[in-house]
Amino acid sequence: MRNRIIVTTAALLLASAISAMAQQQQNPPATTAPAALAPTFGTIDFGFRGLDTTGDAARLQRYSDLRNGAHSHVEFGKNTDTSLINFTADNVGYRDQRYDFGFTNGKATASFLWDSTPLNYAYYARTPWVDRSTGSSAILTLDPAARLAVQSKQPGIVGVPANAGQLNTASIFRGMAGQFDLQQRRDTAALGFGLNATRDLLVNFTFSTAKKSGAMPWGASFAFSNANEVPLPLDNRTNDFAAGVEWTNPKGMVRLGWTGSWFDNNIHELVWDNPVRATDMTPYDPSAYLNGNGPAQGRMSMPPTNHMNVVSATALYKMPRRTTVNGTLSFASMKQNDSLIPWTINPAIANAGVYAKFPGLAHLERSTAEAEVRGINALLNLTSRPNSRFGLNVRYRFNDHDNRTPIFDAVEYVRFDAVPEETGGETEPFDFKRNTFDVNGTFHLTSATALRLGYTFDTVDRLERAAEQLTDNTFRASLDTMQSQYVTVRAIYEHTARDVSNLDVGKITGGGGQPALRFYDEAARDRDKATLLFVVNPVAQVDLTASVAAGKDKYNDSDQYFGLLDNDNTSYNLGVNVTPMEQVAFGVNYGHDKFTSLQRSRNANPSPDASWNDPNRDWTLNNDEKVNNFDVYLDLLRAIKKTDVSLSYSFSDSDNAFVHGGPRIAALTAAGQFQALPNVTNQWQQLRADVKYFFDTHVGIGVGYWYEKLDISDFATIDLPGQPGTPRIDYLGEISTGYGNRPYKGNTGFVRLLYTF
Amino acid sequence: MPSIRQVVRSALAIATVALIAVLFVAAHPGAARPGTVKPKVQAPPASAADYVGEDMCLQCHEDQAYKGTVHALKTNLKSPAATKGCESCHGPGRAHVEGGGDVTKIQNPKKMNMQEASEVCATCHNRETHALWTGSQHDQRNVGCTSCHSVHAPKGDTKLLKASSEPELCASCHRNITNKQHRFNHMPVREGKLGCSSCHNVHGTSNVKLLKAGITVDESCTSCHAEKRGPYLWEHAPVAESCTACHDPHGSNNDRMLVAKQPYLCQRCHVTSRHPPTVYEGYLLKNSYNSNKIFGRACVSCHQQIHGSNAPSGKAFLR
Repeated sequence: MRNRIIVTTAALLLASAISAMAQQQQNPPATTAPAALAPTFGTIDFGFRGLDTTGDAARLQRYSDLRNGAHSHVEFGKNTDTSLINFTADNVGYRDQRYDFGFTNGKATASFLWDSTPLNYAYYARTPWVDRSTGSSAILTLDPAARLAVQSKQPGIVGVPANAGQLNTASIFRGMAGQFDLQQRRDTAALGFGLNATRDLLVNFTFSTAKKSGAMPWGASFAFSNANEVPLPLDNRTNDFAAGVEWTNPKGMVRLGWTGSWFDNNIHELVWDNPVRATDMTPYDPSAYLNGNGPAQGRMSMPPTNHMNVVSATALYKMPRRTTVNGTLSFASMKQNDSLIPWTINPAIANAGVYAKFPGLAHLERSTAEAEVRGINALLNLTSRPNSRFGLNVRYRFNDHDNRTPIFDAVEYVRFDAVPEETGGETEPFDFKRNTFDVNGTFHLTSATALRLGYTFDTVDRLERAAEQLTDNTFRASLDTMQSQYVTVRAIYEHTARDVSNLDVGKITGGGGQPALRFYDEAARDRDKATLLFVVNPVAQVDLTASVAAGKDKYNDSDQYFGLLDNDNTSYNLGVNVTPMEQVAFGVNYGHDKFTSLQRSRNANPSPDASWNDPNRDWTLNNDEKVNNFDVYLDLLRAIKKTDVSLSYSFSDSDNAFVHGGPRIAALTAAGQFQALPNVTNQWQQLRADVKYFFDTHVGIGVGYWYEKLDISDFATIDLPGQPGTPRIDYLGEISTGYGNRPYKGNTGFVRLLYTF
Repeated sequence: MPSIRQVVRSALAIATVALIAVLFVAAHPGAARPGTVKPKVQAPPASAADYVGEDMCLQCHEDQAYKGTVHALKTNLKSPAATKGCESCHGPGRAHVEGGGDVTKIQNPKKMNMQEASEVCATCHNRETHALWTGSQHDQRNVGCTSCHSVHAPKGDTKLLKASSEPELCASCHRNITNKQHRFNHMPVREGKLGCSSCHNVHGTSNVKLLKAGITVDESCTSCHAEKRGPYLWEHAPVAESCTACHDPHGSNNDRMLVAKQPYLCQRCHVTSRHPPTVYEGYLLKNSYNSNKIFGRACVSCHQQIHGSNAPSGKAFLR
């Protein structure tokens, strides 16, 4: 709150200073500005809001706060020949409140923003973990007696259900799980200031600070059979600064800039209790990561405090014959040097006896991360339009992501705080260096029709990835025309062939992968993309829009057998928008999207087990999603006397199928151990109606109604048997918060007074 | 290098588009319409006497006011109000006036070649967010300033937009993208907390996809999600290269805006031994503790630190 007041006060002082400065400066000789609009305008929209919800109320208000109470929206503006001022305030006092202020007098500009954005996960969440955080440690504890009861395998006690039979008994933790609102919030304050120091010189500065608080669902596991979800407390802040100075004249521009960003996380580590162990397993069990006979507590690192600085130069120069060159050059530095947590919190491992066998665990190679990436980035862009028929654009980009983080030796490490192992390896600081050359020739077939033919050569040299070099050759053609007053056509086709050089299959097999696996983000492939957009205006008041977009990825490395093999998408959209008169607008839009993909895998044990090379263990997955979108709207602004009416309805649905195939599936089916997954579906719709009636030019009343409904079915969301919508937090292999994808229905009504001026 | 087959296929496709273009243009000879006037021959430099002043313009064009906008700020030494008023953008008007309002004797950006019209705007708007306009993706595609902005009749509250909101404006061409704001998992665009310009600068940037922050996709995303910026001790390589390998920032029906549902997204790459390539299907979901790799957070139930880990024991992103 104190920060809020300080920042607000600073913004007001700044604004008043600028205003005073504006009054002192001499007005330049100028002509009279055109006809006057209202110099001062605004709206005060204040009333009451009521919300009625069934189902997942948090999902309904995912990024908003619609709780019962006051509704507020304030706008104010004052525009004169010497300054523009605007101010808005929304939903004052609620978790999504927003205040926005802007001022300019031509000489200087100032802006201020306060925005709160909630992220509501679930209001039905439950957890048996209790937050006992202290200092920079988030500490989540469980009832020790319950843990001991589970550990000692007391008859009738279930901790984390491990098989279907145990699902018939409630976990001991279900009863002690308290309900809470699982939500977080980002509060952002941003301040901007710009000054035209001279006609050609601009100086600007921005500062923003964003604080995240609340909690989020977080995976916190101990073993394959003991994966849990806890509410992780959040307490971090990001401060961003930017400053720049620009000099411009009709021939060109030069800008020098600096940006700095500091992320500070007040929570350095998470420590949480194991639901199935009250005491550490002593000595440790080498199979603990599988059976859960591990530590009493776990510890993990949190996102590290870090900072980034970038200095940049941007320039633009206009040459004869409509030729322009512009470009940027920047140097970046990203650093984080957080202290490292120990190998494990488990005293059954962190002791001299284990160190004798695993000497690497006796100490950390270094105590802080010492992580650093430096970047050099450049863009050079030449555009020449020497005549009305032809234009040429040549572009070169260079990115160097130089990771200077020293290698960290973790050949010996501790898995799940449960088992010391010798398979950790060393860290792999990821580097890349990218060169992109792009040339496009534009042929102006007429003054309003442009045909563009282009080619891009893009190559990426990479360190610590299997594909050490990727080369993309892209050919494209586009046509954009407004040749007829009735028709606009925009079309583009692009083909990209990606080749891989210096593929190090050892990087794939070294990570345990099949040698015929290729990672889809670096695999050789052909990519085809096309978009066609038609806009027809039979009369000026009507536009009909039709568009088709399609993309196809075909992975074509002849040695690839596993991984993503195909990935396609298509999108069709049709729309009509009509504005028969200034006061009336209506329209409807429909879209249909389809996404399909095919991937192949092999369910195997590691070589030399025979299954490793057994094609009968292969399986495939076809993922096929169809989505429909529909929007319709009607706006009547004083088309009815003294009345504004606004209606809109939006609809979106999805049908997502997961179809397994291949010999492994046939074998599982024959053994009675395969059940096809049901489609994941959802259907969302939203109706919004708003009617305002004005008694005179200033005073009116308004009523609004919002209806929103989500139907969803997702096999990944687990409810209590026979209680749809009521989460089960103690399902197989996990104690969760119950957060999931559940339906909701919301009715929100508004009644308010309006005052406009 | 691309194969001959790929080159031939691309060339055929390009030739087809070119042919369609030629046929289309041939079928629609430049029948005059707003926006199709051929560029004029370069006029000689105007003298002061060629300008008539704004008062003269307003005698006939009173409805073309721009007061109340930034263009009317006399205190900005570059603004039309501080320079030549209407004629700052429309050029000297004497010939137009003396020609009795002859529209061929006045410059009207709405009726000019799109790129030439943009050059008029870029006379002043050549810095800050507009510095890299020339040669940018929109500029190359014959999308110009007047495609999205209207100086005299804006519909939006800000930025002189030709639509009442930014997403609505962008949807006029990018409907397949803007539709994604209605997906089950989405950025807070439909709630009005973010707009297209929160991430994109449509006027040209040094980043890909007209992203306005940073010079890579990751730098753009971590400008808000700084907790994922690292650099980490243990990196998940695809994460360090591009967030979009796994996420669709415009919206998705999968949790956390993933491009595919977990665990199947992870299984696209993790074809190893033991649990990663296990067939995660309905039987396991109902009968085994391995169900925890299907429901809820799926793979991330254990591999929570998937964006990178700063723990010495963080190789598998478990800590």
